[in-house]
Amino acid sequence: MANFMIIPTWFLGYNIILEAVFALITLIVSRYAFKLYKLSEQRQLMLFGMAFLSISISYFIQSLLNFAILFNLTEDICHMVKANNLNSLNFIGVYTYVIFFTFGLMLLFFMTLRIKDAKIFSLIFLIVLSAIFLSANILFMFYLVSSIMLLSVCLHYLKNYLDKKQTKTLLVLIAFVFLLFGRVHFIFALNHGTYYVLGHVLELGAYGLILINLLRVLSKNEQKTR
Amino acid sequence: MNKKRDRLQIIHDILKAIASRNGRIKPTHILYKSNISHQMLEDYLKEMIVKGFIEEHDLGPSKTYSVMPKGFEYLNKYKLIIEFTESFGLNEDEGFG
Repeated sequence: MANFMIIPTWFLGYNIILEAVFALITLIVSRYAFKLYKLSEQRQLMLFGMAFLSISISYFIQSLLNFAILFNLTEDICHMVKANNLNSLNFIGVYTYVIFFTFGLMLLFFMTLRIKDAKIFSLIFLIVLSAIFLSANILFMFYLVSSIMLLSVCLHYLKNYLDKKQTKTLLVLIAFVFLLFGRVHFIFALNHGTYYVLGHVLELGAYGLILINLLRVLSKNEQKTR
Repeated sequence: MNKKRDRLQIIHDILKAIASRNGRIKPTHILYKSNISHQMLEDYLKEMIVKGFIEEHDLGPSKTYSVMPKGFEYLNKYKLIIEFTESFGLNEDEGFG
């Protein structure tokens, strides 16, 4: 099972920083979602918060794993997690990254489909994970599946924008479209390093827009309360 | 044509109705001010008490309601909640439970 991607040498280090930034932005969004859930008891806010928290954890794991590989910390970490060798560590890292990201994305996907049944969610989640982990190329299947789910999420946000025609809904739509294209680029990054870089750049654009939107929402609220 | 109100807006309207009467209001007054059916109001009031938005005062023949600190915070942050849920497409009416 292939668990590696081609990363241009010059990009090593930058990928770690970017992934850490993505982890931070998604964590901030998650925090605000949970805070507003506490105020409003609106279930969708809690699910949205959980989705972004899960995605944040996945980016954190990805960044940490890349950091460990880059700075040759893998032997120490192997001892810590009782992994036999680098392959085992990579195995653990990739699997946890895939599980957390898929869980978060599936929550968003199910919210857009308005499916509220936890049993159906659990069943589909297990089927998706099985399809990913039993495939010949885990990362390829993971990026393919996540692209398909993101396509559905983008269609939801397109409808949201067409219904409301507001700047905030447009920003979120563009953000998720960037995220979708980023994921598609990662599919091709398995054979060519340039796509790995482009994927990260597109994700930076996506999370940047999400952060800008959140800051606009917060600053609008500040102005109104003064 | 009036747009159907979602859950967040109904809670806001109920809390605003209670807060506007110096914190103590009878159910009939809430019904009039919030413009929802009697059954729906009963359901919302029960859940809002459980979730800490309002408090019920049983004064013999009649009950009154007052807004709790969580309810006031909801009123203050209402616009933020709406802006956030609208921008991320989370504003579907779920009901309670």
